[in-house]
Parts: sequence; structure tokens; C-alpha cells
Amino acid sequence: MKRKLRFALYLAAVAALAAIAAGCGSSNKSSSGSTTTTSSTGGSGGTGGSQGYSNGTPAKGGTYTVGWEQSFGFTNNLDPTGEYLGNAWAILNNLLVRAMIGYKHLGGAAGNELVGDLATDVPKPTDNGLTYTYHLRSGVKFGPPVNRAVTAKDVVYAMNRLANPKDGAEYAFYYSPVKGFEDVVNGKAKTVSGITAPNNSTVVIHLTQKTGDFNYRMAMPATAPIPPEVGNCFEGKPGNYGRNLISSGPYMLAGSTGKFTSCAALKPFSGYAGANGNHLTLVRNPNYNQSTDPYRKNYPDKFQFVINSNADDIFNKVQAGTYDDEESSPSPKTLRKYSTDASLKKMLQSNGGDRTWYLTMNLTQPPFDDIHVRKAMNYIIDKQALRLAWGGPILGSIATHIVPPVLYNNGLSEYDPYSSPNSAGSLQKAQAEMKKSKYSGGSGSCTASACKGVLMIGDTRALDNRMIPVIQANAKKIGITFTVRQINGAYTTIQTTNKNVPISERPGWGKDYADASTFFSALFASTSIIPDGNTNYSLVGLTPALNKAKKLGVTGNLNNIPSVDSDINACLPKLGQARIDCWEGVDKKLMTKVVPWVPYLWSNVVKILGPNVTHWNYDQFADDTAYSQVAVKQ
Amino acid sequence: MIFYIARRLVWTIVVVLCVIGITYVVFFKLPAGNPALRFAGKAPTQQELHEIEHRLGLDRPWYVQFGKFAYHFFRGDQYGWPGLGYTYASGASVKSLIVNRAPRTLFLIAGAAVLWLFSGVAIGVISAVKRRTVTDRVAMGFALFGISTPVFWLGLMMLYIFWRQLGWAGGAGYVSPTSDLTGFFSHMILPWITLAMLYSAFYARMTRNNLLETLGEDYIRTARAKGLTERRVILKHGLRASLTPIVTMFGMDIALLVGGAVITESVFNLQGLGYLAINSALTQDLPIVAGVVLLAAVAVAVMNLVVDILYAFLDPRVRYA
Repeated sequence: MKRKLRFALYLAAVAALAAIAAGCGSSNKSSSGSTTTTSSTGGSGGTGGSQGYSNGTPAKGGTYTVGWEQSFGFTNNLDPTGEYLGNAWAILNNLLVRAMIGYKHLGGAAGNELVGDLATDVPKPTDNGLTYTYHLRSGVKFGPPVNRAVTAKDVVYAMNRLANPKDGAEYAFYYSPVKGFEDVVNGKAKTVSGITAPNNSTVVIHLTQKTGDFNYRMAMPATAPIPPEVGNCFEGKPGNYGRNLISSGPYMLAGSTGKFTSCAALKPFSGYAGANGNHLTLVRNPNYNQSTDPYRKNYPDKFQFVINSNADDIFNKVQAGTYDDEESSPSPKTLRKYSTDASLKKMLQSNGGDRTWYLTMNLTQPPFDDIHVRKAMNYIIDKQALRLAWGGPILGSIATHIVPPVLYNNGLSEYDPYSSPNSAGSLQKAQAEMKKSKYSGGSGSCTASACKGVLMIGDTRALDNRMIPVIQANAKKIGITFTVRQINGAYTTIQTTNKNVPISERPGWGKDYADASTFFSALFASTSIIPDGNTNYSLVGLTPALNKAKKLGVTGNLNNIPSVDSDINACLPKLGQARIDCWEGVDKKLMTKVVPWVPYLWSNVVKILGPNVTHWNYDQFADDTAYSQVAVKQ
Repeated sequence: MIFYIARRLVWTIVVVLCVIGITYVVFFKLPAGNPALRFAGKAPTQQELHEIEHRLGLDRPWYVQFGKFAYHFFRGDQYGWPGLGYTYASGASVKSLIVNRAPRTLFLIAGAAVLWLFSGVAIGVISAVKRRTVTDRVAMGFALFGISTPVFWLGLMMLYIFWRQLGWAGGAGYVSPTSDLTGFFSHMILPWITLAMLYSAFYARMTRNNLLETLGEDYIRTARAKGLTERRVILKHGLRASLTPIVTMFGMDIALLVGGAVITESVFNLQGLGYLAINSALTQDLPIVAGVVLLAAVAVAVMNLVVDILYAFLDPRVRYA
């Protein structure tokens, strides 16, 4: 007995020593550098990205498995009517639903080009830009348990569902130009008068005002057809349809079988356990007809999205081939490994995310109620250092204005109104600007009390901990000091107008589709200012009357706040290059005449692929994997 | 005894309701933001926000919502009894979600509890009996290591050594015992050991101290004087008396872990109740948080009761009227 006990203790001691030794080894590896990653696979946040990955001839079959960190985070339980998560759009648009208009599911500018998906082509508006007529392809069928042809009425139903506030739409505002849409939103009508289906294969949409990007709006998943017989089972229960989503695309939720008989008999499909669940499994839709779809390749037989709470484990499994892809954030150590190891480098994919990260300055709060202070901030901030805090060039390109150039067809690529050597900030230019400020007393530094201890709201992520000292050190050079409050979920605070937050380092904004209106309307139109959930953080266009009418509780300087409302409204009806030129003008005006932000990064979407992936592409629309293009070894 | 148990059960209900009430107060009164914003898109209108608030019941005062929760809990809801409502995120039944996740946490606790109880008590006894020997010092060194080591670090090291380097155990993730029993043990062994290390260390120190104290009592001397073997003196007379506080600790530890093994669950990707609760708190999904808190509170209250009843069997001096 004694001998056995001694042996057990000896074994335990050896195990403990082995663990400590292994821990030391691991620690040494990870402590060899900082968070900086210097190499890139060619991706660029501003101007597009890599054109995908190929390793042999893609073949049909196999299972494509994606490790998804923490939880799905779906905003409407995968119900297309309201789902607003980009990662969910990648799944919906590539695999599950077919809207009238679609994309080629590629990276770069080609991935933003509109093509007919459910519709035969991309229609040109008639009736002086107020009518759009879509012709449906024949041969497109719903998956089980509906098993019938998709008709125009299914599209009309989906659009009406989008208008009904009780059905959980989260971007219904995009369709307010449709005639009669607002009547349904406001409860004055049951159906949208401006959407009709003259026959089973034609949808006609009448607008009340010219909307140059309307076809983009018809490419969003909420406009994809929903069979009314199933959709009606979920009236007034937003999100619940997600677990019984009827496919019109190449794949469907696993467990979608049989024939629909009644709502009572309809049980949630087993392939998806809901937004709080831990798996999403998609299998081929037996009713899908490849000949109706020129752009989706649909190689794997099955897709599995599995929740994993351990990010390290996700990347271990990707490297081991257990997973093929990930929805996670690689650690600096993982990025460094993939950037420097020649055998792994090809598995690291970095593509423009069409997202701008910025410091937002509140135009009503001192000292940022003075445009010269805001300009000085733009000059002094070391954007290169902020990018290093993120992880280096592979994480994105330096932002020099509001909207990523890819949304202007790479226009304004060289535009940088606050340029400095190596984007590291210019003290000289900042001081020159600060001299013009009412807070500086003619010096190059802010001497007024308004510049001391200015409240800055930050988040509590490791990234924020790295960025905030950089911003503090930079601003101090021109006499601005901050009282930093780091809040878990800082958005909530900065989105509440009566908090009167002067500055925050937290915000980022991504496109909904490849048009700059998806930035300007939400971020700078005065109509978007609301007391709770406000996205116009800088309060561009705010007036004392608006403050009072909307009970915003803003207490700062409300006099002479610049507005870009008329500029935005002027661009909205335009089409083609004229539209792009117009948005570029708004961007320039914002950067020079309003200056609500210090934009610093156009971030990339970084993906690490497993060794079994034989073909992969980036979907520029969803800023995620183009699942319809991927293939794996079997 | 029956009257005592009944009285305690009534108090248990009161305590659980108080805990849930506090959860509601914390959720609504602390400035965590409006949960409706999560379902309102990037640029919501006030009208949309009000619609969502109305749908989720957030437009009513916290005490009304709490009252509704308590009513449905006792009377049941559309998903049966007890009524725990539906999640904000998916509209799914909270009860089914908890039932789905609970086995993962309960298996984790059960396996780890067996390990830590036996190893902790055994190490404590050996250490007490071999006081001031090398064995004692090694055992207490182990205890110090277990107490000092952060669970997340230990878990990651376990994975690194025994899964990645040696391949002796399954990696992270949960395998249901009904689908693959070998896979289940292979994946659970490391979380069990990781979780047990911390508690085992506490139990070893506690057992050692209690036993040393007990072994100095007069009745132990009497037992020895009567000629009982040392083994009998230690195991029957010494250990039994020193187990009372261990039982208390064991009951409470198990109960607390029902909602609190978050780190172990996260590192080993088990996605049990603790992980569900934390995720839900981060996404402001109150019904799930309330459901898990309720379960954890019931576990604590019930285990407290069980421990009190066990006292009567372990310690002859304790009697309940």
C-alpha cells in the first residue's frame, strides 16, 4: 500500500513538472514578440483583396466545417426578414435563399457587381426611375417540405412581411421609397400597394422617389421569397421562422423533409438549434436546379457550423483539418505563425472588409465643437500606431476618409486630407490648425480648461487597452487630455444622446451593400438622430429644434452645427458614376467642412483555412467566406 | 424532522424568489443598455424600438415582469411546467435550452466531484497521519499548486500536453455518452481533472487540519487506550468527526458549480449551463439568465438542506426538532 502510494505521488510530481516544463516552452514561444504582424497576403481594406485560394481541382462532395466562436450572434435567429448579421448573410445568400438580385460571390470589385439571381437579369428602372420590373427564372423550387415552384407571389409576401413591424424586420427603412410601404409600417394598410405580381413570374415595384441603389436593396436576404403557407405560421413571432426556413437556394436546413400539411404539424428542423444553440447543419436541397444558377458552384454535400467556446481550440482544429474555416478572431500569435510559416501562409486569407474604424467626435461638446480642434485631432493621431495596436497591415489599410474606396470603384484611393509621413501624425500641422482654435489662445496647443480631462468612452477589449494610450499620448501633444471611461459594450453609451459623450474610440461601421449611402444616411443624416440607439454619434445636422422635438437631451453647443442632409438627398436618386461622384463629394465635405471623425482603419476580414480546403473565395457583399464557391477534399 | 424539512423547503422557495428578484433588479436598474437594441438593426427608429420592447415585454416595469416570471414559473407556460419563458434571441423555450445544456454541466460536476472528494480526502488523511514527513510536504505542495494555479491555465496546459503532444485524451468538445461512451470519457477526463485539482487541494488542506484537530481530542486517546487499531481510530473515529465541515463544503461546492463552472466549460468547449449563463448575460438575454440563476439558486438551497440533514447522520450531537 505504502509503495503504491509513493509511486502515485512520484507520478503526480513528474506530471506536475512536465506540465510546468511544457508551460514554460509554450510561454517562450509566445513571448518572443509583440502583437505586431508585418506580413500580408495581399489583402487591402481599402481597395479590395485577394482573389481566393485554390489547391487542386475542386470536386463535389465532402463536408465543409466551420468553427464559430462563442455563439452565432444572429440578430433574428436566421429569419431572413430581420437577420442583420453579416456572417448570417453569407450563409443565407450563398446557400439558403435566392433574392431577385444577387452577386457573383467573389472578392474585390467583381464581388460587388449585381447580377440576376432569382430574376433573369438586373432591370433598369422605367417610368422616370420609379418602376422596377423583375422577371423570375423558371425552374426555381422551394426545398422540402414545401416542394413547389417559387412564384412572384412569394416575393410579394416576403416584401409585405418586411413592412409589417410585428415581423421583426431590421432594415425595413431601405424599402420606404416603395409606394405604400410606410402605410403598412404605420398600420394604415395591410399590404404594400406598390408591389404587385401581375403573373407568377413577374414582380413590379413602384417607388415614390428615385432611388439609385434600389437593385442593391433587392439583393438583400429579406427580399428573398418566403412561401406564405409557412411564413403565415410565424406571423407576429419574429425570428421563429428561422428554425423552419424554407430554402430557395442550393442547400437547406438539415431535417427539412416531408410535405407541409399544417402549421401545427410543422416542427423546428433539426439542423438548426436556434441562435442560442450550438450547431447549424445544411445539406443539399433536392429541389435545387443548378441550371438556373450561373454563379454558385455548390461543391460540398454538407455544411456544418459548430460553436466552439475556445478560440485557441478553433485554430488548432483548423490547422489539424478538423475544421475547414472559422468565424473567430485569430490571436496575434496565430497570425504571426501563419504569416511567417511558408507552409501555412497560403492558408491565411485577408480581404477588404468594407468597414471603417474611427474616433467619433461630438460636434456639440467642447472642445470638439470647434472644427479646428477636430482637424487638429485628424492631424495628430498616429494611425500607423493604431493599426499596429490592431495587429499590423494584415488587419487592414490606413483609412484616410469616411468610406472605403472599393465602394467608389476605387475612387478617392489617394485622397488623404490630413496626410502625414507614414500616417504617423504631424505635430506641425496639428499645431498650425490648433492655433486657429478658440480654445488655444493663438498657441499651437489647447490651453482652455475645456481640453483638460475630456471624457473619452472606450470599450474593455484588449484592443481598446492598446489603442487608448496611443490616442492619449497623441492628443496630449496638442494640449488635450482625456478622462477615459472603459465600458463593456461602449456602444450603448455612445448611442444615447443625453450622455453627451465628447469622444469615443469604439466605433466602426460596415456597408450593408456596395453603395456609400449605407454609410452616409445612417451616420450623418439628421433624420437618423434618435435618443436611444442613435448612430449619428457626432450629431451632424442637429438643431436646437430637433433636440427639443426628439427629446434628445443634448446639452452642449447646438449653434451652427453643419449639416449634410441636402448633400445626401441630392445623391440618393443618382445612378452609376454620377452617383459615385456625388458620394465622393459628400465624403470630401465631411472630411474638410464637418470633420466629425478621425478615420484610422479600413479593416480586413482575415480567414484561416484548413488543409482540406481545395477551393475558397471571398464574398465581397457579405464580407465573409463565399460558401457557394468552397470545396474540400473528401 | 419532517416539519423541519417542510419549513426549510418553504424558506427555499422564498430565497429562490429573492435571488430571481435581485436578478431582475440588477438587469433593469444597472445601466447595461436597452436589450431591444440588439434586435433593432444598425439604425433603428424609435417606433421600431418600441415595437421590440413591447414584444419582449421590456416596456413594462421590472416588478411586473418579475411577477409574470414568478406566475409562469408556478403555473407553467406554453412549454409546460415550470414555466421559464422563451429566449429573446431565438424565441425558443428556456427550459428546453437548460435541459439540453444541463447534462454537460452535471456530468462535469459529477466526475470532478468524485475525483476531488476521494483524492482530496485521501491526501488530507495521509498528510495528517504522516505529519511533518516528506509525504506531508509533497501532499501540501500539491495542495498549494492546485490552489494557486488558475483553472484556465491548467486547462490549456492539460490540453496541450495530454491532447496535442501526447494524444492520450480527446481534445476540447463534448461527446454525448449515449452516442459514444469511449469518446465521452476521453473528452471528459481532462476537464474532470482540471476542475478537481482546485477543489482537491482545498479538501486536502481542510481534511488534514480537521483530522489533526480531531486526533488530539480526548475520545481519540480513549479509543487508542482501549486498544483499537490505528486504522480504526483514524477512519472510524477521527475521520468521521472531521468530515462534517467537508460535507458542508462538498454540498455547497457542487451547488455553486451548477451555474459556475464557466471557465472549465469554456476552455474545454463543453458549453454547459455556466457558459450559457455568461453568454446570455453578455447578450442581455434575461430569460436565460433568470432560468440559470433560478436553477443555481435551487441547487444551492437544496444542497444546503441535504447537508443539514446529513449532519444528523454524521454527527450524533446534531438533532433537529
